[in-house]
Amino acid sequence: MSSGHIVKSYDEELESVRNTIVEMGGLAESQLEAAVRSLTERNSELALKTIEADKAVDELEHSVDNMAIRMLALRSPVADDLRLVISALKIASVLERVADYAANIAKRVIALNQGPTIAATSTIPRMGAMVRRMIDDVLTAYSNGDAELAYDVWVRDQEVDQLYNSMFRELLTFMMEDPRSITSCTHLIFMAKNIERMGDHMTNIAEIIIYQVNGEMPREPRPKGDKTSVTMIENDGSESN
Amino acid sequence: MQIQQIDEQQAARQGDAAEMIIKTRDVDVFYGDNQALKHVSLDIPKHQITSLIGPSGCGKSTYLRCINRMNDTVDGCRVEGEILLDGVNIYGPEVDEVLLRARVGMVFQKPNPFPKSIYDNIAYGPRIHGLAANKDELDEIVLTSLEKAGLIKEVQDRLHSSGTGLSGGQQQRLCIARALAVRPDIILMDEPCSALDPIATAKVEELIDELKENYTIIIVTHSMQQAARISQKTAFFHLGEIVEAGDTEKLFTSPSDERTQGYITGRFG
Repeated sequence: MSSGHIVKSYDEELESVRNTIVEMGGLAESQLEAAVRSLTERNSELALKTIEADKAVDELEHSVDNMAIRMLALRSPVADDLRLVISALKIASVLERVADYAANIAKRVIALNQGPTIAATSTIPRMGAMVRRMIDDVLTAYSNGDAELAYDVWVRDQEVDQLYNSMFRELLTFMMEDPRSITSCTHLIFMAKNIERMGDHMTNIAEIIIYQVNGEMPREPRPKGDKTSVTMIENDGSESN
Repeated sequence: MQIQQIDEQQAARQGDAAEMIIKTRDVDVFYGDNQALKHVSLDIPKHQITSLIGPSGCGKSTYLRCINRMNDTVDGCRVEGEILLDGVNIYGPEVDEVLLRARVGMVFQKPNPFPKSIYDNIAYGPRIHGLAANKDELDEIVLTSLEKAGLIKEVQDRLHSSGTGLSGGQQQRLCIARALAVRPDIILMDEPCSALDPIATAKVEELIDELKENYTIIIVTHSMQQAARISQKTAFFHLGEIVEAGDTEKLFTSPSDERTQGYITGRFG
């Protein structure tokens, strides 16, 4: 329904919730960008700033919570308004987690920077760029109420999973070749896992957007590609699933 | 996926299994030249609460008043189409509208007890319909009706004081007890809580919810929250037509029609 509410302040409140979600999403995306850049540039100062910036996202989440609770109590929203408020509550909590993951990457960068440079970092920026596009698209889908674009993000997560799988295997072989790399490789695996989780979270948000727009969740199971939890590398370097 | 489909089929069968006590087929209502209802077809499930919502003048009260032929009393009012109560057209020539109104009771917006004692308010209907053979039976009907209306504890010591001396909420429950006394199957309610405070409203809503065990209730309400709180089915009327009717939960979370959405969310001019 394109026309506004008879009570205009209701529209303003809904708009304010929407804007705060988009702002949170924008921050989470730039947090991810900064965390990954702090890795590639070996920039501990940037990593520290990224950790600090997480607070801003937390505050925005509180603000979405407060607005949503207030509207539920005072406006008794129904139909698409209800779906918007409930979706905002859920999306805000997901975005807060995404920013936490970015902060966690930044913490690991500071730890990594205390050791020598390691070679196997190139996959992380690729995963990061992929997930940033997902965040970007999911926010566009949210702003425009575009369920199709949300659906596109929902199925796209498989690509991130595949990249994560190959990086996981690569790092396992690195560690077997040179046990001195175990600490840094473990940090890298956790970083990659963080980014992979962010991708998962974008699919959650995509589902919520589809619900918000259509009134129902996608019915089919989401395609998943993360196979690392069943991957084993034997001592001779061969792989089994 | 297969299991889900089977579940859906079962759900559909259960949905079909709900007995429809009233079937409305293509009803038009005219007040003189003015058409108040247009091609209304609506089924009312037995022993459930159905809410009728819509802006003022949308036809919801007109529809409600068709079900016990209250519109017959309005000059120039003409009803076309069929309203079947348990399969019998209530506008058929053989139907006695006095008996119909005993079977289809009504509660109004403003509590309207007779200026008589609490006892006589309730005994009035059973007396004129000859439902009690003697004083004991009549006492029984009065007390059971008050009990069912959740009013007995509040009035048992003053059954012979005036019904108009009760509070607004009590008066409304007295009117519900009065409707119950003639053993109806259906109770029509036209904004029964609009003159009540929130506590009295809650008591009436609780009562309505209990009554659905044994009665079919159709309620006209301007309060979206009330419709959402108490009814299983909701029908949205607009400009004399039914725009959307179905499960209350579906209608208030994801309505199918933009006009329903606009109305219940407060975007409707």
